[in-house]
Amino acid sequence: MSEMLIKNANVCDPVQGINCETMDICIRDGKIVESVSGSAKIIDAEGRLTMAGGFDGHTHSAGKINVGRFMNPNDARKNLVPGLSGQVARTEKTRAQVGYNTPNTYAIGYRYAKLGYTTICEAAIPLLAARHTHEEFKEIPILDKMGLSLFGSNWQVMEYIRDKEPEKLAAYVSWGLRASRGYGVKIVNPGGGEAWGWGKNVSGLYDPVPNFDVTPAEILMGLAEANERLQLPHSVHVHCNNLGKPGNYATTIETMKLFEKINPSRDRQALHVTHVQFNAYAGTSWRDFETGAPMVADYVNGADHMTFDLGQVIFGPAVTMTADGPVEYANARMLHEKWSNQDIELEDASGVVPLFYSPKSFVNAVQWAIGLELALLVKDPWKVMFTTDSPNGGSFVNYPEAFTYLMSAKRREEVISGFSKMAIDRMVLPGIDRELDFYELAVMTRGIQSKMYSMPEKGNLKVGSDADIAIYDILPGQIDPSTEYAKVKKAFSGAAYTLKDGEVVVKDGEIEATPKGKVYWVNAKVPANIDIAMQKDIDVKFRKYYTVSKSNYMVEDTYLQKPVEIATEGVF
Amino acid sequence: MQIVTLSLKKPNKIPIEADNVNPDNFAGKTEGEIKAIPVWYGNGQCPLGDFFNVSVEGSDSAENTKIVFKGDVSRVKRIGQNMSAGEIEINGNVDMHCGFGMKGGKIVINGDADSWLGCEMMGGEIVLNGNASYYVGSGYRGESCGMRGGKITVNGNTRDYVGEHMCGGEIIVKGNVGLLPAISNNGGKIVIEGNATMPASEMKSGTVIIKGEVSDLLPSYKEEGTEEVEGVIYRKFTGDVNVGGKGVLLIK
Repeated sequence: MSEMLIKNANVCDPVQGINCETMDICIRDGKIVESVSGSAKIIDAEGRLTMAGGFDGHTHSAGKINVGRFMNPNDARKNLVPGLSGQVARTEKTRAQVGYNTPNTYAIGYRYAKLGYTTICEAAIPLLAARHTHEEFKEIPILDKMGLSLFGSNWQVMEYIRDKEPEKLAAYVSWGLRASRGYGVKIVNPGGGEAWGWGKNVSGLYDPVPNFDVTPAEILMGLAEANERLQLPHSVHVHCNNLGKPGNYATTIETMKLFEKINPSRDRQALHVTHVQFNAYAGTSWRDFETGAPMVADYVNGADHMTFDLGQVIFGPAVTMTADGPVEYANARMLHEKWSNQDIELEDASGVVPLFYSPKSFVNAVQWAIGLELALLVKDPWKVMFTTDSPNGGSFVNYPEAFTYLMSAKRREEVISGFSKMAIDRMVLPGIDRELDFYELAVMTRGIQSKMYSMPEKGNLKVGSDADIAIYDILPGQIDPSTEYAKVKKAFSGAAYTLKDGEVVVKDGEIEATPKGKVYWVNAKVPANIDIAMQKDIDVKFRKYYTVSKSNYMVEDTYLQKPVEIATEGVF
Repeated sequence: MQIVTLSLKKPNKIPIEADNVNPDNFAGKTEGEIKAIPVWYGNGQCPLGDFFNVSVEGSDSAENTKIVFKGDVSRVKRIGQNMSAGEIEINGNVDMHCGFGMKGGKIVINGDADSWLGCEMMGGEIVLNGNASYYVGSGYRGESCGMRGGKITVNGNTRDYVGEHMCGGEIIVKGNVGLLPAISNNGGKIVIEGNATMPASEMKSGTVIIKGEVSDLLPSYKEEGTEEVEGVIYRKFTGDVNVGGKGVLLIK
């Protein structure tokens, strides 16, 4: 039995409604408890800001990132955020680290922990390539991990939707999650991945997918219905159609509206829309491109069935990686950049393209503003998850920098002053004076994740929760984040303490210990007769089309390090 | 003026990574201080004095510091890395990455150089009185910009990929070059006085002049009349059209 007492912690825990109150936190055997004995080890927080461990709910940190690594060997040398990037020699406690946007697996674990983050959700696991994702998970130290499995352009999914077989569809989703050991349903440009197999894309929610006679809207509704039938802990996680195209805000709002009729089966949202920055563009071309954030924020303010995340842009080099194959082709052509394209057989497409966000480019400047506008114009922080869609909008090591944009209008003005007049005319950010406080920041980086992923033991400091805790070198009452943003950034860049399951993993911004993290996956129960009928259909697919056999397709238990199975009961 | 003479005590088989050996780091230092500068040797660090006899004359700023290598430094890498001023004279062959990321000053090599000479250099000058190996003045793996400024003169031959991904500066090769000189370059000037094979593929911009024979001229170049440079008339080609390039390739 190991016990610990954190004294004089200035706790900011929105899930419990605690806004910077000084209290003690008791820990026993990796969990937060009511009280500990006198022999507990004591950490004196000295009134410093204490939050639950950060939770990155949408990041590309295992799987496709490896394509990014071998396309960008030069990334290994980049050191744009000293202390959190570049080449670091191994020490007695840590392995060697390289990279910035696509760091090696060990660096991903160490650097997230230094930021006070303890859980990450990989945003896209192709079912067929799930083994690779889990092999990378195994080598990411410290963090707890989970991933979202891709279903949006899957042949079997589209056939069941076309043939109106919702029960078999639910059984397939359940099987897909089990095959890939995924946590939830990710839908990327529904139908677009299949259309890309024919060198095409879908142009909107009602544009039929070639050869399948279903529309993106039907795919979304079918999968949402299956998601709720299986009572999955997370809602569907949607990357909308038309990503990265001027004028796409209309498609985004249309998609959000579509979900108004979905009844969530659990106490959570019915829809999560991801990296909305890339989907909130107005205008008709890159010439008259401008922000569509006010329209999207307006809709979200009046809606209560959904959450979204930002996909904030960070100036500098980034690597875009997505299952949205046609978008990456367009990026590579437009930017004359390197391009990687992958065909995931019957399931999806994907692509990787490195790019550079420059404040001198009016498009990039407006993109930067759109992310912040979305965060600041949406009134309720419980609808907004903070992300950079790392490394699509920029590497996660820039989170502290991005926090200063959210917390300080003065800091934003500083950045905006470097933009061209054309860029400033196309954004509304200069007129926004809202500044987030630590409480709202904690909602966006911890609280909302706990709720939207139905993980009561994460993202909060309740009794019974995991003792994943970050203590930052900030005295909340004595700092004004709107002027002292440099201090805020420094404190968030290297936690005074990060605790993972009650163990000190970071102290004064340096790695102390590297325990192995857990992997969460969802096992949704389906009646045997429906499962057997569905298996017959996919057996045909494996026999006729797949390059692998079904028995070699499933991710086996040996791939999972410290697995945590979340069981749900499907309603049939 | 400060002159630092480094003479290798005995030839080494395991490479020494001399990335700390440059005038910026030596200026104003005494013999003892220079001997104590750590360099990588295999997978460990050792003081420079373990490998070299060091003698120092005078003490001055980086601009007025000259480092003279004596002995066979063909297994000493990264000499002059990131140097911004002063001079380095190498009397013998030198290993890879000499003058990498150089910003200013001058390196004179009286011998042959291994691969990656003057990679990603931004300023200054390298004079090689011998032959060079692969990737003179190019960019490292994955970079879109190699040499950005400065000048490299090779008074001998080079092997393949001279000036790969070059974005600025000047390279002059008095002898022959190997395959694919100026591949993927995006600026700068390369003059080859000898022969070349398949020059300037995927060139976006920049100038390449070849005074000797050209083998396998790529079909993705448009011939656009002639151009006179320093009294010599060349056939003028532009391309590479495969990448929408506007580079100029002048050949006899």
